[in-house]
Amino acid sequence: MNISTGNQIRSAGILAVALVTALVVTSCATAPSNPAGSAEVRSKLDLLEAQPNMADLVPGEIREAEAAVTLAEQPVGKDIALGEYRVYMADRKVAIAAARASTLYAEAQRPLLSQARDEARLDARTREADKAHRKAEAAQSETEAAEATAAVAAADAAKNAQELQRQIDMLEAEATNRGLVLTLGDVLFATGKSNLNPGDTSSLDKLVVFLDQYPDRDVAIEGHTDDVGSADMNQVLSQHRADSVKSYLVQQGIRAQRISASGLGESQPVANNQTATGRQQNRRVEVIIENPPATMPTASTN
Amino acid sequence: MFGTYRIRRHLAVGTVAGAMLISVACASAPPAPTAALDEANLAIQAAAQDDASHYANAELDQARQKLLLANDAVAMQDMVLAGRLANEATVTAELATAKTEAAKAQAINVELNRGALALIEEMQRVGDQQ
Repeated sequence: MNISTGNQIRSAGILAVALVTALVVTSCATAPSNPAGSAEVRSKLDLLEAQPNMADLVPGEIREAEAAVTLAEQPVGKDIALGEYRVYMADRKVAIAAARASTLYAEAQRPLLSQARDEARLDARTREADKAHRKAEAAQSETEAAEATAAVAAADAAKNAQELQRQIDMLEAEATNRGLVLTLGDVLFATGKSNLNPGDTSSLDKLVVFLDQYPDRDVAIEGHTDDVGSADMNQVLSQHRADSVKSYLVQQGIRAQRISASGLGESQPVANNQTATGRQQNRRVEVIIENPPATMPTASTN
Repeated sequence: MFGTYRIRRHLAVGTVAGAMLISVACASAPPAPTAALDEANLAIQAAAQDDASHYANAELDQARQKLLLANDAVAMQDMVLAGRLANEATVTAELATAKTEAAKAQAINVELNRGALALIEEMQRVGDQQ
């Protein structure tokens, strides 16, 4: 009976210890599951470690993060604050490893970037040099072309000037500062008449040829007389004679707009009216072929 | 009668021993968090000197908040909490520094890259003109 009582007591004691132990175990590790958030931090670390060369870049940081994550995964039972603390620490350690890795990666990229930039710069310089070279070549050929053009132009100009001089010589015109002055003598007209003598138009025909050749030159026709008769009569006569010359030129195909005709009467004698020769010289029609607007004389091709 | 008393006494001893075991297992005596607080302070200063307020202001701010809370916990005699908060402040300040360094390194690369891109663009532009 005694023995049985002792056994009972002993077994009760063991039961109590077992109960308390169970309590201890329960209090520290009720749930076999990991603390909240530890799975997330583990997957962050896995993701980071999946990056190539990560372990080589930041081995120390990865080790620390690994240790912190492993600790965060330890069950903490009801001590939720401890679990949260460990998860927080692990999360920060993983983030630190990621940031340091990013720094080192950026630094490792730098030589490549510098190289790319140097290559781009070299390429740019090469292109610039090529462009300058091409430009110089273009300028050279442009200069040559311009020189050739200028030579041709000069030759043309010389030829034109020669031709003009030939025409002027043919016209027997006189170069003055008003232009070329062609004096038609009174032989063109019968005395006191203003209509042209039909047989003697050769000097006017030369003028027509000239005006055809140089269409940019306008023409002024001035009639003059000697002092015989009244001034009014002479003025009217000289106007009519100038008009007759104009009409002839227009008939020959010169545009009327190019021609002006005026009668100056006896106002501008070129010789002494006291002598017969002088009066004959004063009875005249002057055709002034005006200088062209441009300085360089240009010959039309037709 | 006698047996019942013995049983009760054994139960009481077991319970006390178990309770002590719990306290040892789950809440060991808190160490003075002075070292942890100092470490947090230094880490925050280092981050601030690294211009973390410009590149990782959120982390720097959080580290400072954690340190303030740690000091509050010391005042409330909760040394365990104080130590944890100090450690959290330290790693957060370290993260601020690490992020700052990463941002600076990337900024340099962006600049390098931009230089190269600008050259390439310039070349293309010049090329188009030809």
